[in-house]
Amino acid sequence: MNNIIETKKLCKTYSTGGVQQHVLRNIDLEIRKGDFTILMGPSGAGKSTLLYALSGMDKPTLGEIRFCDEDITKKNSDQLALFRRKHCGFVFQQTYLVDSMSVMDNVLSAGFLADNDRKSVITKAREVLKSVDLDEELWDKFPTQISGGEAQRAGIARALINKPDMVFADEPTGALNSKTGKDVLDALTRFNKDGQSIIMVTHDIVSARRGNRILYLKDGEIAGELDLGRYVSGDKERHTALRDFLGGMGW
Amino acid sequence: MNKMLLLTKSHFRKNKGTSVGLVSLMLIAAMLLSLSLVVLFDAYPMARKEAERLDSGDGFFRISEGIDGLTDEKIEEIIEDDVSRYYIYRCLNYITQVPFADGTITANAQIYDDRAFSKEMGNSEIVTEDTSITSDYIYLPYQFYTSGGVDVGDQFVLEIQGKKYDLTVRGFLTTPYFGCNNSGSYEFVLDDDTYSGMVSVDGAPECILVIYELKDGVEESRFGIRVNNDIVTVAPYVNFQQMPVESVISNRTFISLIIVISFLVLSGVVLLVVLFMLTSSISNYIRENIKMLGALKAIGYTSSDIRVSVTLLFLMLSCIGAIGGIVLSYALLPFFAQMSIAQMGIPYSISFLPVPTLIVFSSIVLFTAIVVSVVLIRISKIEPIVALRSGIESHSFRKNHVRLDKTSMGLDMSLAMKTMFFNIKQNIITFIVVGIMVFLCTLGLLMYENFSVHPKVDMLTFEYCGGIAAFDHETAEDAREFLEEQEGVSNVRNMIMVYFYYGDEDKLMTYVIDDLSALNNVNVCFEGRLPLYDNEIAVSGKFASAHGIKVGDTIPMSYGDETFDYLITGFIQTTNNGGKEAYMSARAASRITDLSNAPAYYYFDTETETEEEVDRILTKCEDKYGEHMISKMNFYGIIAGSLTTFKSVATTMLVSMCVISVLVILLVMFLLVKALILNKRKDYGIFKAIGFTSGNLVLQTALSFTPSIVISVILSSILSYCYANKFMNLIMGAFGIVKSRFDIPIPGVVMIAIGMILISFLLAIFESRKVKRIEAYTLLVAE
Repeated sequence: MNNIIETKKLCKTYSTGGVQQHVLRNIDLEIRKGDFTILMGPSGAGKSTLLYALSGMDKPTLGEIRFCDEDITKKNSDQLALFRRKHCGFVFQQTYLVDSMSVMDNVLSAGFLADNDRKSVITKAREVLKSVDLDEELWDKFPTQISGGEAQRAGIARALINKPDMVFADEPTGALNSKTGKDVLDALTRFNKDGQSIIMVTHDIVSARRGNRILYLKDGEIAGELDLGRYVSGDKERHTALRDFLGGMGW
Repeated sequence: MNKMLLLTKSHFRKNKGTSVGLVSLMLIAAMLLSLSLVVLFDAYPMARKEAERLDSGDGFFRISEGIDGLTDEKIEEIIEDDVSRYYIYRCLNYITQVPFADGTITANAQIYDDRAFSKEMGNSEIVTEDTSITSDYIYLPYQFYTSGGVDVGDQFVLEIQGKKYDLTVRGFLTTPYFGCNNSGSYEFVLDDDTYSGMVSVDGAPECILVIYELKDGVEESRFGIRVNNDIVTVAPYVNFQQMPVESVISNRTFISLIIVISFLVLSGVVLLVVLFMLTSSISNYIRENIKMLGALKAIGYTSSDIRVSVTLLFLMLSCIGAIGGIVLSYALLPFFAQMSIAQMGIPYSISFLPVPTLIVFSSIVLFTAIVVSVVLIRISKIEPIVALRSGIESHSFRKNHVRLDKTSMGLDMSLAMKTMFFNIKQNIITFIVVGIMVFLCTLGLLMYENFSVHPKVDMLTFEYCGGIAAFDHETAEDAREFLEEQEGVSNVRNMIMVYFYYGDEDKLMTYVIDDLSALNNVNVCFEGRLPLYDNEIAVSGKFASAHGIKVGDTIPMSYGDETFDYLITGFIQTTNNGGKEAYMSARAASRITDLSNAPAYYYFDTETETEEEVDRILTKCEDKYGEHMISKMNFYGIIAGSLTTFKSVATTMLVSMCVISVLVILLVMFLLVKALILNKRKDYGIFKAIGFTSGNLVLQTALSFTPSIVISVILSSILSYCYANKFMNLIMGAFGIVKSRFDIPIPGVVMIAIGMILISFLLAIFESRKVKRIEAYTLLVAE
């Protein structure tokens, strides 16, 4: 059993003004440990909805999600928060660092949630900030005082400090230029190579290339899947395979 | 105008909770202001209106003791040059103790028959009566009904010259001069037979009462001094007492003024809180709606359009708050007006008063309009493009407070401290509001402790003792020996009261004491010392400041034709006799008057300090000296009876202060926590996303207010303890108290402090529960 996440008949329906919108439809999915899973699809396909449902941030309307052998759909919001602090890390498009806290404090605030050993948490924070190539002089700066790419790497450090079972990344490069976006993807790729499981939503084919498994969502269903792990030999091959897959999906 | 109303409606929809909080605060402020103004405009003037209605004239003087040979014609001759009208009558005057509320009260009783209701001036009028009671009856002043616990048909024992008269209460009367214990005299009207019986007793305490109206230009005090001097030349041993109607009104309205001042202070405090909260709420409103404001400007709304629409919203809120407060004040008025009127003893019915209502309404609305207009000036500075990009950065994070890698505090506490620094302005408001509320509660506690629980008799009377036994001059010396021989009796001292005159400008009720060192109430002297020698006097601070007199000055005091220059050794404080009193030794007094034929008023203490013990001693004196004992007073009984109204006011004040404090803190916490959660909802969403529970965030929010609450409570408790008496000086100064020494029980202050911290913290927790409504996912998706 190598799956971290399994879903059964996962549905999410929004009801607005009496009109029902089915965003996720009967999704059966397995996410393997150590995978860098990419969720792609057109706007409104349900990528982010699926990502946040899997992470326990949003509740599905129907179906079951087993995450580390726990059925998270049965948990209330506080139980889900406790679950997330232990098992999940998040990297958002908008960074979502707390503006009133320094970079170091943003990372530590997540670290102290899961571990009471002050020294160990501070050491881990330093290590993880170094591992995302964030200069030490930036650690005491506030998010508004650093660049978008630096802030996103700080966000990755916060997501990783507790060594979560899964990192959920929602278009982490969406608000960055290509250079800083590449730095962020490099960091994620490095962590994945070290065994970190990641699920990432992206619209960007270059970003998607970093994954080893591509799930294409369309109208709330998984319309196709590509195992990029076979194309480890070179970027060009991976790019071509991905392009062909997406083309086939109507991308 | 339509677009303004549309905008105003939109502002309201976005700020329902804040609007409700602000309306509630304005409602409390309006209610307190309305209560104080209605009492000030309606209940407070009742004493004056009643005096005018009953044709009080300008005052009265009472001549008692040694009035044989003093004819009405002689009095007319003495006064006629200065008065335009007068009315002279004779009745009985006797100082006695009568039952009142929970105890007894010392009544300087004017005893008369039915002729009391047909006086040509200063008439008495029946308020209510039961005409089926036809013999052995008494009419009591209305105050006995409103606060004395007596009703028509009750039995009432009146003790005159050692004889007890069992009478039935036939009714209650209203009178301009003799209806209130604060003004010192009561009028009791008896049936003809009982009254005739009293008058016919040998040595009946007859007195002459003269009610007068002065001619234009005649000065009251000079008139009194001249009349007194002229009368003393005819009848040297008379006791002359003059009481201007203004003094009676002032004494009758003492409690009303305390209520008015207290509520005015409270409403001022709440208005200050409204000012803070309006400012804070509008700033939050601008911050929260910066994009909308930018959009409005972008589509062509001018700054003044937006300002007018926001101002309209707050004006509407102030109108609702003001009207609600006024309505609520009228609902509560029967209780507070009754408390005020009960002490005056005047029939009163509540009516709607347009002027105070208008003042309250316009004050609240105008106050809001001014504050809102000033705060909204900021809107003009908003550039649409900057606003649309949410470009107003209201926080500059120059300093990283409470670094998580350096602090030893727990995570929740550390983040709470960070929130506190983030929210520093709101914490300053909390600090100020909680501090003020602690101070108010401490003042309430002071009043409750000193007027109700342990009455501070040394602040309220010139001297305290166990009892007072008065004897005529024939038995005075023997009676003193007898009294001193009684088991448990100690510290017998003789103290009589005489009016001495300061030139022809003023007069002082002077306590003439055989041994000033025997006084219990040494605190009465707040500056300098009490007199020791026969050329010394201590005068009241109020009198001294009125005449620019200092300690060490000499002042001429006179009685009749005799005058002597006395050295002022100190200042005393007193609420009696309009704050115009003096102390001197009997030897000093003998320089201007012969006191050898004066009665003796022996003040004595008892070992057990109980009402029963004092009664036992007084009864023994009475048994031995009979009619030679001219008066007796049980001090413990007097305190219980006299303080009934004070106790009720003090208890009400404490309860009012505490209730209003809790309400104000509740509303302030509601508004501040709401604003904080709004300001930090993005941060809270992020925290929830990374694994903080609602419990963590609720605790952090509440804890972020705790330091300001705790520091404020501790500081304000200490300051209140140190300065509450100084504050009381400001309030009580008008009544003659210059240096308050009221007790402030430390356990009470500690209880208020702990209660305030707990209540504030629990309210903060309660309000912070709104954090639960923030959903990380909704927030992240919405962004």
